[in-house]
Amino acid sequence: MRGVTRRFGEVTALDRVDFQVEYGQVIGLLGHNGAGKTTTIRLLNGLLAPDEGEVRTMGLDPVADGAEVRRHTGVLTETPSLDDRMSGLEAMRFWAAMWGVPKDAVDRRVMELLERFRLTDRARDRIGGYSRGMRQRLALARTLLHDPPLLFLDEPTAALDPVAARGVRDMVRTLAAEDRRTVLICTHNLAEAQDLCDRVVILRRGRVLADGTTAELVGAASVPVALILEVEGEQVSEARRITETFGEVKRVDGGRIDLDGVTRERLPDLVAALVEAGVGIYRVAPEEPSLESAYLALYGEETEG
Amino acid sequence: MNWRSIFAIVRRDLTVVARAKAVMIPLVVVPVILFVGLPLLVSFAIDAAGSDIEDLLPLIEALPERIRASLGDGSLLEQAQVYLLEYQFATFFLIVPLMVCSVIAADSFAGEKERKTLEALLYTPTTDRELYLAKLLGPWLAAITVTVASYGLYLVVCNVALAATIGRPVALTPLWVVVVLWLSPGMAALGLSVLVIVSARVRGFQEAYQVGGVLVLPIVALVAAQFAGLLFVDTAFAILLGSLTWAVAVAVMAVGFGRFRRERLLEQV
Repeated sequence: MRGVTRRFGEVTALDRVDFQVEYGQVIGLLGHNGAGKTTTIRLLNGLLAPDEGEVRTMGLDPVADGAEVRRHTGVLTETPSLDDRMSGLEAMRFWAAMWGVPKDAVDRRVMELLERFRLTDRARDRIGGYSRGMRQRLALARTLLHDPPLLFLDEPTAALDPVAARGVRDMVRTLAAEDRRTVLICTHNLAEAQDLCDRVVILRRGRVLADGTTAELVGAASVPVALILEVEGEQVSEARRITETFGEVKRVDGGRIDLDGVTRERLPDLVAALVEAGVGIYRVAPEEPSLESAYLALYGEETEG
Repeated sequence: MNWRSIFAIVRRDLTVVARAKAVMIPLVVVPVILFVGLPLLVSFAIDAAGSDIEDLLPLIEALPERIRASLGDGSLLEQAQVYLLEYQFATFFLIVPLMVCSVIAADSFAGEKERKTLEALLYTPTTDRELYLAKLLGPWLAAITVTVASYGLYLVVCNVALAATIGRPVALTPLWVVVVLWLSPGMAALGLSVLVIVSARVRGFQEAYQVGGVLVLPIVALVAAQFAGLLFVDTAFAILLGSLTWAVAVAVMAVGFGRFRRERLLEQV
């Protein structure tokens, strides 16, 4: 997407958005509700046209070649979008026809995916009787019927119990790693994004707020980290005095000091100050900063837009 | 044009409709009431009327000569029965295709939005034109099927009850052929083209269904006008009305197609 703006009446859903996804990457599209994530997916699939800017999906213009673009993409919508009155098997056969799976290959492909997503036993039951996890698995199976190289997954684990969510995450991991598909995931689950994505794009009020790997975002956001410091026991008072100028001391136990709120860039200065004061240091263990901490630091205290 | 996708949508929509009791009940009950119950009631009521049947004399006498001639040389009772069953019911019959297509179109379009199944359909490679055609074709085919089946039922009922008395087949006339094969499909097409436009603007099945109910009002007016002697729907009139209906239907479809864009549908998903 290059300089893409999309308005709905007075509301600007996307504002000069630029980002690119490389083949084989798993990209997370993050942001509060209304940040423009679903609009982005719709633009990339030719369901919406941009007011300004340029959109290309697999080299094609989704506005002019929408049908061709959608032939190569699979979209898991935020709600599974399945008809309760059909059985899983009927639904899959229907979607196979919609995506032009060759007639003689439909049953084999459908059964293969139902098996892969552990739905074979309930394939002839009406979807109305499926659990949320089963619906999500069926919707995910649907996105793979035509073997698309590019997947869009909008909130793939929303409203799922932890076990079902883990199952879906495992499937996404397999799709990306073993099947070598390009995957774009929209999610509010930041731990999930950190776990699954090679890179994330954070949208705020329709603009790209940040774009990079978790480590890059943590660096860009100057995320304060928690830190465990172990020093010579007799020097703990001196060490405490120094560390208090860098962050908040949460706990002192013997020679151990638990410190919070130290930015990553100031860690070398902290260590240098301790060394200069002659404090013997046994361990400096900064906590690995999370995508969540970077996201919150970048977004601030702002609630949903 | 990808006919495989189009017929997949048609088949899916009709399968889903067939499994919804709330949708299927009117599709079965209304034709049975109108074309089994009502003709039997009319037939028995005229038989039971005795000398009161003469109240119908002014109605019969007011008919144009060519229509009176078609009622045969039988008694007033027989003429009244033929008139009601062959002419009045022919216009009444137009309610069937309109009712069927309103119910099915409301379910397959507005209902699909309500059930949140539309978005996934929009992400398929179908073009807007294919989607539009599929959404028209499903309810239209169902309307034609129910119409022809209702006519078959009506023929059986009328002829079992009256053919022996009247001495010739009842309701097996050029007027009925035109009504069933020309005017009814046109009415269904017109109703559908309006409903598809309306369904894209409403949020749910009930809302679309209520709008569909309004479409039946011109038919009710036509029936009333014929009862009041203001017009007579004969074969020529039915051909003319059918042509007009098809022309308007095609025009409304063209407008509907121009407006039928994924983007518009998404606004309410």
